[in-house]
Amino acid sequence: MKEQLATFRSQLEEFARKHRNDIRKNPAFRSQFHEMCAKVGVDPLASNKGLWAELLGIGDFYYELGVQIVEICLATRPHNGGLINLQELCNLLRQKRKHDREAVSEDDCLRAISKLKVMGSGFEVITAGKKKLVRSVPTELKKDHNEILELAQAQGFVAVDEVERRLSWTLGRAIDALDTLLDEGLAMIDDGHEDGKRRYWFPCVSSISSVGADS
Amino acid sequence: MAATTTKAKFFRQADLTSSGRPVLLPSEVECQLLTSVDLEPEEDRSHLFSALKSGVLILTTHRLIWLPPSASATAAYAIPLAAISHIFSPKKSIKSMFHSPRIRFQVLTDTDGQVFDLGSSSGSSSVVVTAVIRGKGDSDGFLGKFSECWKGREWETAVSSDSNRGSGSSTGGGLYGSDGAVRMVGVAGILRKEQEMWESTDKSLQEAFQDLNALMSKAKEMVMLAEKMRQKLLSGTNTSAANDEEMGSKEEMQDWLLSVGIISPVTKETAGALYHQQLSRQLADFIRIPLEKAGGMINLIDVYCLFNRARGTELISPEDLLQACSLWEKFDVPVMLRKFDSGVMVIQNKSHSDEEVFARIIALVSKPEALRNGISASDAARTLEIAPAMAKEHLLTAESKGLLCRDISPDGFRFYINLFPEIDPSDVYLIKDYGIYSTWIKAISTCHGAEVSRTS
Repeated sequence: MKEQLATFRSQLEEFARKHRNDIRKNPAFRSQFHEMCAKVGVDPLASNKGLWAELLGIGDFYYELGVQIVEICLATRPHNGGLINLQELCNLLRQKRKHDREAVSEDDCLRAISKLKVMGSGFEVITAGKKKLVRSVPTELKKDHNEILELAQAQGFVAVDEVERRLSWTLGRAIDALDTLLDEGLAMIDDGHEDGKRRYWFPCVSSISSVGADS
Repeated sequence: MAATTTKAKFFRQADLTSSGRPVLLPSEVECQLLTSVDLEPEEDRSHLFSALKSGVLILTTHRLIWLPPSASATAAYAIPLAAISHIFSPKKSIKSMFHSPRIRFQVLTDTDGQVFDLGSSSGSSSVVVTAVIRGKGDSDGFLGKFSECWKGREWETAVSSDSNRGSGSSTGGGLYGSDGAVRMVGVAGILRKEQEMWESTDKSLQEAFQDLNALMSKAKEMVMLAEKMRQKLLSGTNTSAANDEEMGSKEEMQDWLLSVGIISPVTKETAGALYHQQLSRQLADFIRIPLEKAGGMINLIDVYCLFNRARGTELISPEDLLQACSLWEKFDVPVMLRKFDSGVMVIQNKSHSDEEVFARIIALVSKPEALRNGISASDAARTLEIAPAMAKEHLLTAESKGLLCRDISPDGFRFYINLFPEIDPSDVYLIKDYGIYSTWIKAISTCHGAEVSRTS
């Protein structure tokens, strides 16, 4: 058993010597590397003590990324209630890491977030329509809520009658879902429109990048 | 007949020797060839040339030459590499696995449909040509060589010596400036720049992928070995023997599994990998002060950030953290990991007692102000001096114990003291003189009383 490990270790060392930089610099190669590891059944990010992390040095990259993602989610939470667009998260991340040499892809963010999941604070990636949203609060988002978020992507807001019409829901169901989203801080009310109809805005699905300016 | 004229119009003529080999230009060197290759124009440009079928494609340092399959051919067709503005990287898809490999590249043409050449006017339009490789040759290798030769720009050494003699102005708006260097102009220039960037990464990547494949097959062996080990571990825990020797080797196995990237479950008998044991103690020491500052309870994710930021390098993974915390129950440390119903995990002081917190919450919620308006999570947070998220967890737990009632209104989520236990089901209107029920009535009637006196 020990010899096997020694052989493997030297093979990994050789690989690391030649391609350590490729993994760091090239997000596409990095993502391919992860896919292959998953197929084989190893998790290179499982522990920073593992051979993978030790020799390839990718552990620190992802754990650091995790910390930065948590910080960004925390900073934007007052604005979007704990649900942030993945693209916006990546943009803010890149701004934060302007001085680092390594490029960060969306795939990297997704991997870092999947690692954060085990800590139980509700970190998860949700798909609403075409966009991916990152949740950082333990709010239960049910299917109804997801459908409203999808609907909101068109203009950034929805109105109750729109929800009723487009999703064929009853008034009660629509109001219930919208109110829950409101309670959790994911939606904001706008009653100032001329036609008097109440609009529910969702900061997380509209691309507001002004948040970056504040942080 | 029309077909031949179209072909002749698009391609450049390539002369052949009497034995059917192409006549090479000065300093032109053959690099590679592929058999059974078709050259096809893109779909809507088939008027430029009809597809060439099943010929031999020869790559040289200066041109791509296509030889017709018939032995008696006297001429061949060529595309100067100089006329190629872009080579597309191969699309790998499920479909492509079943089809013959294809190499696609973009060729500049001038106004009368002929392949662009240095002497003529600049390329006014372009067409994408696909080489379909039906033969058995190494298409990936060919593509690599193709890109190399195209980038190598051997034909320019002749050009530059010519144009150096000329004046500063170049011929029309050609691709080449007067010093023979490629001008990065227009879309073609941008595409070329991008291509060059991809080329430099592409080559080393090809090697990297090969190495990766080799590594992964070795890793697979390791995983299978590790699985056997894991089975041994699991079956080993069923035996009651727990002498030191066995523990030692179990630890070794855990370490071994860990280094390959497999986290083994922490069973009751084993103490987990040595790494996690040490980390666990280190964490318990580290967390003492932040825990005090935070009022006795910290969210696990916050601990992850705090600890890693303090470490700087050699960070720990979320799983490392979880493993380390779960080991605490084996050691005598004053901290513990706790999981709430909502899934939120926290680290709290063992001395932190829920009863004490509930007592403080009840005291808070029994004040007259709170009897009237209830308390929110932030109110509780302020009084208990803990984070609002933690306060919310406490309030929810208190509610599940029957101490509080929630009230959800447009004002938000608020909690009130639970008065239902005070109401005697057999005599609903009875209010004892003492107790929280009467206090509550007094509290709310004062404010109602005030209103009544105003209106009357």
